[in-house]
Amino acid sequence: MASGMQEKQFTPCLLSFFIYNPTFGPREGEEEKKILFYHPNDVEKNEKIRNVGLCEAIVQFTRTFCPTKPAKSLHTQKNRQFFFEPEENFWIVMVVRNPMIEKLNKDGKPPTVEYQEEEILDTVYGAVVRQCYSMYKLFNGTFTRAMEAGGVEMLIQKLEKFFYRYLQTLHLQSCDLLDVFGGISFFPLDKMTYLKIQSFVNRVEESLSLIKYTAFLYNDQLIWSGLEQDDMRILYKYLTTSLFPRHSEPELAGRDSPLRPEVAGNLLHYGRFLTGPTNLKDPEAKFRFPKIFVSTQDGYEELHLIVYKAMSAAACFMISASVELTREFCEKLDGLVGPQLTLLASDICEQFTINRRISGPEKEPQFKFIYFNHMNLAEKSTIHMRKTASVCLTSVHPDLMKILGDINCDFARVDEDEEIIVKAMTDYWVVGKKSDQRELYVILNQKNANLIEVNEAVKKLCATQFNNIFFLD
Amino acid sequence: MSQSSLVAMESVGAQRATATWENGSLAPLDHLRSERADSPTPGLVEGTEPGAGQQSAMFVHSQSFEDLTADAEDKTESKNSEEECEGKLDELVEEEAIEEQCNNMSLESRSREEDVSSEAWRSHKKHVFVLSEAGKPIYTRYGTEEALSSTMGVMMALVSFVEAKKNIIRSIHADGCKVVFLTRSPLVLVGVSRTWQSDKELLRELQYIYYQIVSLLTLTQLNHIFQHKQNYDLRRLLAGSEYLTDNLLHRLDRDPGLLLSAVTCLPLPSSARDVVSSSLQAAKSKNLVFSILLAGDRLVTLVRKKDQFLHHIDLHLVFNLVGSSSSFREGEGWTPICLPKFNTAGFFHAHISYLEPTSELCLILISTDREDFFNMSDCKQRILERLSKRSAYQTMKEALQCPSYSVVQVGIPELRHFLYKSKSSGLYTSPQFPEVYQSDQEQERLMGLYQDLHSFLHHPSRPLRSFYRCGETENLLAQVTSGFELYLCFSPLGTKALADSAVIKLLKWIRKEEDRLFILNPLTY
Repeated sequence: MASGMQEKQFTPCLLSFFIYNPTFGPREGEEEKKILFYHPNDVEKNEKIRNVGLCEAIVQFTRTFCPTKPAKSLHTQKNRQFFFEPEENFWIVMVVRNPMIEKLNKDGKPPTVEYQEEEILDTVYGAVVRQCYSMYKLFNGTFTRAMEAGGVEMLIQKLEKFFYRYLQTLHLQSCDLLDVFGGISFFPLDKMTYLKIQSFVNRVEESLSLIKYTAFLYNDQLIWSGLEQDDMRILYKYLTTSLFPRHSEPELAGRDSPLRPEVAGNLLHYGRFLTGPTNLKDPEAKFRFPKIFVSTQDGYEELHLIVYKAMSAAACFMISASVELTREFCEKLDGLVGPQLTLLASDICEQFTINRRISGPEKEPQFKFIYFNHMNLAEKSTIHMRKTASVCLTSVHPDLMKILGDINCDFARVDEDEEIIVKAMTDYWVVGKKSDQRELYVILNQKNANLIEVNEAVKKLCATQFNNIFFLD
Repeated sequence: MSQSSLVAMESVGAQRATATWENGSLAPLDHLRSERADSPTPGLVEGTEPGAGQQSAMFVHSQSFEDLTADAEDKTESKNSEEECEGKLDELVEEEAIEEQCNNMSLESRSREEDVSSEAWRSHKKHVFVLSEAGKPIYTRYGTEEALSSTMGVMMALVSFVEAKKNIIRSIHADGCKVVFLTRSPLVLVGVSRTWQSDKELLRELQYIYYQIVSLLTLTQLNHIFQHKQNYDLRRLLAGSEYLTDNLLHRLDRDPGLLLSAVTCLPLPSSARDVVSSSLQAAKSKNLVFSILLAGDRLVTLVRKKDQFLHHIDLHLVFNLVGSSSSFREGEGWTPICLPKFNTAGFFHAHISYLEPTSELCLILISTDREDFFNMSDCKQRILERLSKRSAYQTMKEALQCPSYSVVQVGIPELRHFLYKSKSSGLYTSPQFPEVYQSDQEQERLMGLYQDLHSFLHHPSRPLRSFYRCGETENLLAQVTSGFELYLCFSPLGTKALADSAVIKLLKWIRKEEDRLFILNPLTY
């Protein structure tokens, strides 16, 4: 290879994202009516129509061979397109450009581009599209609901408003296996503290009978939730990747920092609203909270979402949207929850520190792992650093993460217990175990180990981390 | 043994080291080490693994599997060989030759009447379609081309639509079903699969089908036809040859050789094989390029002109041609065949005959001259005469009685089956299917498992050194080093410890048996 050659690496990125309904513009010349949302918006009209047309053709063509299973993705040299039909005839399409390497040529010739076609995992980005819809639905309800409420115009408006902002928060280059799971990280807790939290939730729900559901989190990890699993899963995603990171703890900020809210006259506790009014004392304060939609037995219900936080403890209270929330209610909640939550937060923190001390000081282990349980959506990862609003940092090479993804695809094919152990070209060992509804992935940095030693190491890990879970040996 | 002497030894090519791998660790060469350091059996440098030939190899196998999918390389290769062959092959493509070819095909009728809108048609495990760039149907595995002309029209429309955006369509994925596209101008090939095979594996299969068609017509001819008349109905030229493609597809589902880019040999004591080889070698002729002796799907020996190599794809196409037709049993066959990996521009002429009417032994003599039939016929007589005087002939006929071996002979408990490929010789060995895999269905399932392992190990961007999977029906271990590829299938009772130790044990056994299982002394004229 020529020494002077310059190379530039590009990560996968969002090329376009659109939503259409083929039944909205069935006649020729009316194709534009099918398109409900299109990003980027400055694409020329005919180009939009052509791209939607291709998707329609792909979906239709695939039906020739599998009438019941719709097309999910299209692979091309330059990009991948993901199709998702969340409601009948409504299609969401996401186009992601393959990562590429640009090689600069001498003599002013245009650079040569080499697309890396095998880097993107369908399962990961398919999950991202589904997540986009779930997030829309959490804050807006279904597409059909918007249609019923205000026709196509209303739907178009809602889509525009939601996705314009949401798409900017997609960080496609750092999506991985965790997006496939869409799990919830639970906070490990002793029984006594857990009971304290439960009784706190009961007390609050008892005194503020408007509250329909409550969820309790500590340190961005879930402890208690009264919601259905699927609703909690997406709410959890919103809280941990969007809301919490935007409100980094003011307790940690300096006294003069603008982050520090007006806490004057309220020195009894550290509680504050993350949604709704920032300062209760402000006479101008508005008592409006974001609305969310959760499923019920016969459809969905609309709720106010109140997120209230004291130090590292956060409580979400959900109240029927038909009720108007007043200053009086918020003051009552603040007065009741604030002091208790502050106390609980320090209790949990203390307990947590004691437990940590017992289990010994943390040292860099020989292995990293991801665990996921399909039954309760519990997930645990020592590969990922703390999530922030923008990126999800991992501590292992992206190729190893993709190998985990490959193994996960293999597991998804058959409903059987299975174990896979592979040795990568970099001599890392990767182990995947599927047992019942649980999946465990371990990356070992023991280059000279053999199959038996790797097996022993994983056994040891299971014994220390998951001593009460049975894994097929 | 010192490092420098090893390097010197390796530089002679794939010649076998005087020290065997058992003697201890021969450090891998620098360039190999950088790719695959710390191989589990450190002594096995490419060219010293069990099964590696003592002379230079018989096949082109530079990248073996990989060159199937790399277009760029493909193009340069064919260009080179085109130039190279210009002198050697005075034969140019003639329509006549094609017709001759087609007439040779027995018109075995296919029962293809099938309702293409039925569930039964849809649920075939693997569909393959070939069409022209004008969207005209050329081949379908199931149903008739006529009934599918609109479907194929849509396929072509999708290909051109994406192409118009300076992009290339690769595949469509639905749950449990995928469609892969391969454009090899002037043809477009489409595969629809309900198997778990990776895109890359399916493309490899389409590539085989493409080469199958080229082997009947030559690429030059194919290009010429479509340049002349874009709308040409190629079925007119291919009529009666569909069974070759049908058969090749069947092989692709079942023959590990096509998966491994390798061929397997008839187990034969090396003394006997050497005698057979030299009999073939002795029957020279000016235009004779390859003499091949087959026993069913197994290679007995192959003798080639110096500096001419046969690519394993070409050899599999020859296997397919011979195995697909019973007409060669009736006498001496003389048929033009293009060996696309050798040269896509011209025809060779193959003399195909069985040594004895009822024998499995089939002799293929490949000549560059279309008027060479009598010369080839004469060569065959010379080979037969020479062979029949030797006891090796009898030994070979006896070997035909048991063309395979049982896995029990290896002596590894719980081992059910395995595939072992020597990379430098391009040959593989594998025992017969055990009791548990007797039905066609079970054998195809096992092949499916091997295909899985293969695609994991040879992932285009994340290749692996080893892969172990423990499931409810079997435990599998696959390993690849610079010298060999190994796929082991254990019963579900096999432990990891067992699997771990099995590799060394099996390599030892193969080393012990390599004289019999592989062709160690390939000859040239």
